[in-house]
Amino acid sequence: MNTNGHDLPQTLLDKLLLDTSPYLSCDECFERLDRYAERVVADPQHADLPMQVHLNACGACAEEAETLIDLLSGRG
Amino acid sequence: MQTLHRVRADHPHSTPRLRLVDEKRGVATGPCGNMLIVSDDLAQGIGSSVVSDSVVVAAGEEWVADLNDPGPAGHEAQAKLHHLILRATRHQVWRLRDQVVAASAGELEDLAQQAASDAMVAVLGKLETFEGRSKFSTWVFKFGVFHAGVAVRRQAWRYREVTLPDTLDPVDLGAAPEAHAQGSDLARAVRRAIAEDLTPHQRKIALALLVEEVPIDVLAERLDTNRNALYKTLHDARRRLRESLMASGHLDQPAQGSAS
Ligand SMILES: [Zn+2]
Repeated sequence: MNTNGHDLPQTLLDKLLLDTSPYLSCDECFERLDRYAERVVADPQHADLPMQVHLNACGACAEEAETLIDLLSGRG
Repeated sequence: MQTLHRVRADHPHSTPRLRLVDEKRGVATGPCGNMLIVSDDLAQGIGSSVVSDSVVVAAGEEWVADLNDPGPAGHEAQAKLHHLILRATRHQVWRLRDQVVAASAGELEDLAQQAASDAMVAVLGKLETFEGRSKFSTWVFKFGVFHAGVAVRRQAWRYREVTLPDTLDPVDLGAAPEAHAQGSDLARAVRRAIAEDLTPHQRKIALALLVEEVPIDVLAERLDTNRNALYKTLHDARRRLRESLMASGHLDQPAQGSAS
């Protein structure tokens, strides 16, 4: 596995070096989440860079966004 | 290596916040630049209803106005609210059930019910902050989803120790062999940057979240802090790592004009 003492899983490298700009806090993400989810449900191509960057970087907020979109899509 | 045990701490989403609202009737601009509609005429014009001086709801959600009514109408409105919240918490608990594999159906339902109670308190405490930028039901759902997620992750980690590694070396990187970068210069540089360029606090938080994969709200509870603070620390740590690797030529410079 970690035989030469230097190799790292590519997935870990990607997570460590992820560019999380523009910065958006978890609280701001939560504030925007209801409106964002409605827009994504109305248009799956809806683009919101700060939200998308945050959701790609924050597992807990991403989990919440997925569930909210699921609920609004009638799957809940 | 530091080991943390479970402590209870309230999340900022659970505490009422002050609201910035233009008290004048008419149209005011909300904190994010969205239009906050506080006039009956305007609200009716977009198919919404004004239920108080500052709350606008979509057609069919007028019952929201009764939530603070001490009589039967209030009880009925609160029952509707609880029903909405419970729908959200049950859905979230069900989606995350793999995180609590040992839990029975009854225990999952208990989690959903407890999360619904917490979310109900949060929603009622923040009613005045609802600005009508989404449907009221959507706004309510997000509280249910949030509290259910917190409950499931807390339950999943209830008896697990949280370790805060000081270095990357002792961490068990037990991923699939094919997922490993083969001792690349980049991996070597990342190890060096973690050891030399991060503050001790940034290093502990980044390794706990990304290597140990401790859920951010579980870590926040154990450290008696909040999700926001940890995410900001992680954001700063990632930026430092990237800057270090750009300086050493292991990463390309970002395109001009990108924010930080
Ligand atoms: Zn977040």
